[in-house]
Amino acid sequence: MGPAMRRLLLTGGALLGVALTGCSSPASREAMAPPDLVVSQQHRHSLRVQASGGAETSGLDSSNIADADLKAAIEDAVIRSKLFQSIVQGDDGDYELHVQVVSLRRPLIGGTLNVELETGWSLVRRTDRAVLLRKSIRSTGTASMAEAFAFVTRLRLAVETAARDSIRQGLMAIADLNL
Amino acid sequence: MNKTIKVLALLGLIATLTTGCAVNRATGSVDPSTNLAALKTMYVKKIPDDDNTHALIADKLRSKGITVTSGVEPAPSGVDAVVTYIDKWMWDITMYMLELTITLRDPKTDFPMATGNSYHTSLTRLSPKEMVDEVVDNIYKGAK
Repeated sequence: MGPAMRRLLLTGGALLGVALTGCSSPASREAMAPPDLVVSQQHRHSLRVQASGGAETSGLDSSNIADADLKAAIEDAVIRSKLFQSIVQGDDGDYELHVQVVSLRRPLIGGTLNVELETGWSLVRRTDRAVLLRKSIRSTGTASMAEAFAFVTRLRLAVETAARDSIRQGLMAIADLNL
Repeated sequence: MNKTIKVLALLGLIATLTTGCAVNRATGSVDPSTNLAALKTMYVKKIPDDDNTHALIADKLRSKGITVTSGVEPAPSGVDAVVTYIDKWMWDITMYMLELTITLRDPKTDFPMATGNSYHTSLTRLSPKEMVDEVVDNIYKGAK
């Protein structure tokens, strides 16, 4: 191998290493909210949303779902679809929705990335603490090299797709309830 | 010129190798509709390929006063919770447990009543027993 080719390979390898291992970013709240959710019925009540089990994303970590972002994405989808009349914060509201991130399975390497997400959804009526919904929701997200070249971006897209599907399934299930 | 290329190559190698270093995460949460203290009997659903993680989980739960059985078959009737887990292993000089997720489920509906997760990369690796202890303790810390 000539010196010019060796230089080219070394430089290319270095740049590729840096590009492919760039900093991770968390799933974005805007991308996790399903934009076009049509629900079977709209409830004339107020809702308080809580999220748990998620994690922040550090630069060296893989994409995670933060509790605050999941909560915001669910609230946004509820408001857009008018599933509930209003969203309230603090210890108020007619109903309490709690969404728990149970597991988020992400690949460590790969071209087309497949992510598996499980969330637990529970809906409680505040007045008598009646549990109206307890449901495990499993969803998947896929992102290919055509969508993003950098691994960290591809992984974030797959996580956001899985979260969006999870929120869609959860809110559809709540829409089917007679509150 | 040659020196610059070598420095660039070294930087690329360092970036590639260090992205797996020193990430620590530990979470635990309980669904508000669940009373963890009322769960007195549990069944640890063993993953067929698992050697010992199921036994560590069962021992840890027994230390909390819970009656625990385990196996690969479907859970026996009458248990208060079914315990499932996902353990992810990595190799770095030796094998180590990278991530562990433990979930306590409603035996009838599969609903995840409580869950905990720990993630430690190679430089801050924990033994499997320490991982199990951390996850189960975090689940019980999350109980109201």
